[in-house]
Parts: sequence; C-alpha cells; structure tokens
Amino acid sequence: MRDYWVSKLFFDLQAPATAAEFRANRDAVLGRYPIADEARKAILENDVPFLAQRTNAYLLRYYFFATGMKDEEFIRRLRGG
Amino acid sequence: MAELVGCFAASHGPLLLREWEAIPPDQKARLAGAYAELGRRLLAARPDVIVEIAPDHWSNFFLDHIPSVCIGVGEAHEGPPEPWMKAFPHRELAGDPGLASHIAITALENGFEPSLSHRLKLDHGFCIPLLRMGLRALPRIVPVVLNSIEPPLPSLRRCLQWGELLKTAIASYPSPLRVAVLGSGGLSHSIGEPTMGAIDEQLDRECIRLFSAADEQLLSFLERQLPLAGNGTAEIRNWLVAHGAAGSRGFELVDYLPVPAVIVGCGFAAWQR
Repeated sequence: MRDYWVSKLFFDLQAPATAAEFRANRDAVLGRYPIADEARKAILENDVPFLAQRTNAYLLRYYFFATGMKDEEFIRRLRGG
Repeated sequence: MAELVGCFAASHGPLLLREWEAIPPDQKARLAGAYAELGRRLLAARPDVIVEIAPDHWSNFFLDHIPSVCIGVGEAHEGPPEPWMKAFPHRELAGDPGLASHIAITALENGFEPSLSHRLKLDHGFCIPLLRMGLRALPRIVPVVLNSIEPPLPSLRRCLQWGELLKTAIASYPSPLRVAVLGSGGLSHSIGEPTMGAIDEQLDRECIRLFSAADEQLLSFLERQLPLAGNGTAEIRNWLVAHGAAGSRGFELVDYLPVPAVIVGCGFAAWQR
C-alpha cells in the first residue's frame, strides 16, 4: 500500500531547504499536504512501523535521515523497538 | 561500427561516501583498491561512451510515473542532486544522444518499450562508482535507469535480455565508438526495512559463482532468492544487464567483501572479453 501524500512529503523533503523548514516547523510544511489524520499523527510521533506500511522503504529512510534521526535509532524503531 | 570494449559492475551506496572514514582501514583499503582496479581496467578499454545501468533513488521519478527502464537520450545529464554528493566534481555529465537514441530505437524495434528522458539527474547510484573509480575525465554517459526500487520490478530474465539488446544495439551503431557497459548496484543489502543493515554473504558468493554458470541456473537461483533477500539486493538486476551485454561470459571477480559499515555486500566485476 502506498499513501501518496505521505510519500510525496517524504519525496519533497529530499530538498535541503524543505527539510530545514520541516525541522523548524513541521506543522507549516504538513499543512501543505492533504495527509490523513492517522498518518499525520504517525509522522508527528515518529511511528516508523506505521509509516513503513504506507511508503517505499527508501523514501522512509530518506525521510528519517532528513529529520536527523540516526540509522541506529531508525532501525530500532523499524523493528518495533 | 561501434565496438563493445568492456563490461563491468560495481556496488554503490550512500555510506560509501558519507561514512567512508568510518570504514575499518583494511576494508577501506580493499574497497579503494577494487574501485581503482575497475577504473584502471575501464580506462584501459578507452571507452568513448559508458552505458551505465543504475536505479533511480527517487531523484527523477515519483509515484506519478515510475518507468521500468528509462534511457537518458539528452546531450547532458545533471550531476547528483543529493547534498552529500558534493565531492562528485561534475555538475553536468555529457551524454551521447546519437548512441542513446539508437539504443532506444533498436529496443523499440525488438519488442522493448523503454521510457526516454532528455534530462536525467544522475544520483549516487550512477555517480559513486564513477567517483570512486577515479575517472577524472569522464567519457560520455548513456544512463539507463532500471527500476529496482519500487515494485513491481522488471523480471530478471528481462534484465538479461536488456543486456543482450544493448550488445546488439552497440554492434549496429554506425559510428566507430568504443563503448563500455557498467552495471551499478548490489550485491546484498537491505534499506528501510526491518532487516536494514543485513548482508547475506552466502547469497552474494553463490550469486557470484553462478554468474559463471548457465543463464538458466543463475536466473533460477535469483528468482528463488531475491524475494527473500534485502530489498537492495534487487540491484543485482544491473549486473544481469552487464552480463547479458557481455554475452553471458563469466566475469573476473575483482573483489567482494561484505562491509557492515556501509551495509552493503560490495562486489566488483569485469567480464571476460
């Protein structure tokens, strides 16, 4: 399953300026995307397993890299830790 | 007529640049040596053009349109868009529209339907091998984006056929060009999934062994094993293209080493001429 708008957000955050804006003000950037409430909550809570079900694995990694999460922490969350 | 002067394959991965200094010294030396040796062999083949096969890591394409295969037919391609790829010295890479268009037309005449792009961004998948091989003056590049990122992926058999198609197209191109083929990616790795970081050395070594066996054996093995392997292992498709272009002659393994610091089973190969 692919959530188009979650995926689009992650895709767009590959741009350094957008990623910086997102890190500074998540709500402002999230407001530009018609993301469902459940997915928005998962983004705000860094719910990696939920998001992993809804987007491409590479995009997921790019997203958490863009937010500054270390790979070790990302992997721990991926495994449901 | 153009001449196929060599077929090569090498791994790529963001951490081969971003975490280069974190790689244990003995492994770093082997990686550097393998890339350098592949670069030496590639330069010794004196290619005018490199047809390079790599995935698009969401640099050009999104869910709106995901081609299985896209040929870069432009006069120029953009350098890598990733901000951490600044070490790559080329912001623009010269293409070869004549050869690229000939490959596209040959493909269409033979039952293949590639997408075309007149302006591709060549991300780390294309550029890390070029950078690490130390190719200061780059030959012209004909990029072939092969989807190994977002399922459904092109079949393994079709990737081998793409290689055979490249061989045919190069041999029938009516200019005296020297052309090399470079597959970029693999071997085993896992990205953004619970097994992230895992390297399947046993799979890699068996895969390497089977590149010297009959195509049916190789394809049968990969068809069974790739669905069970880490998602990045799908990039072995790019090796299959090089293998097909080389007429399925076995390759010389320049080196293989699993490198946990870059979470990739790193392989380097030069096909026999």
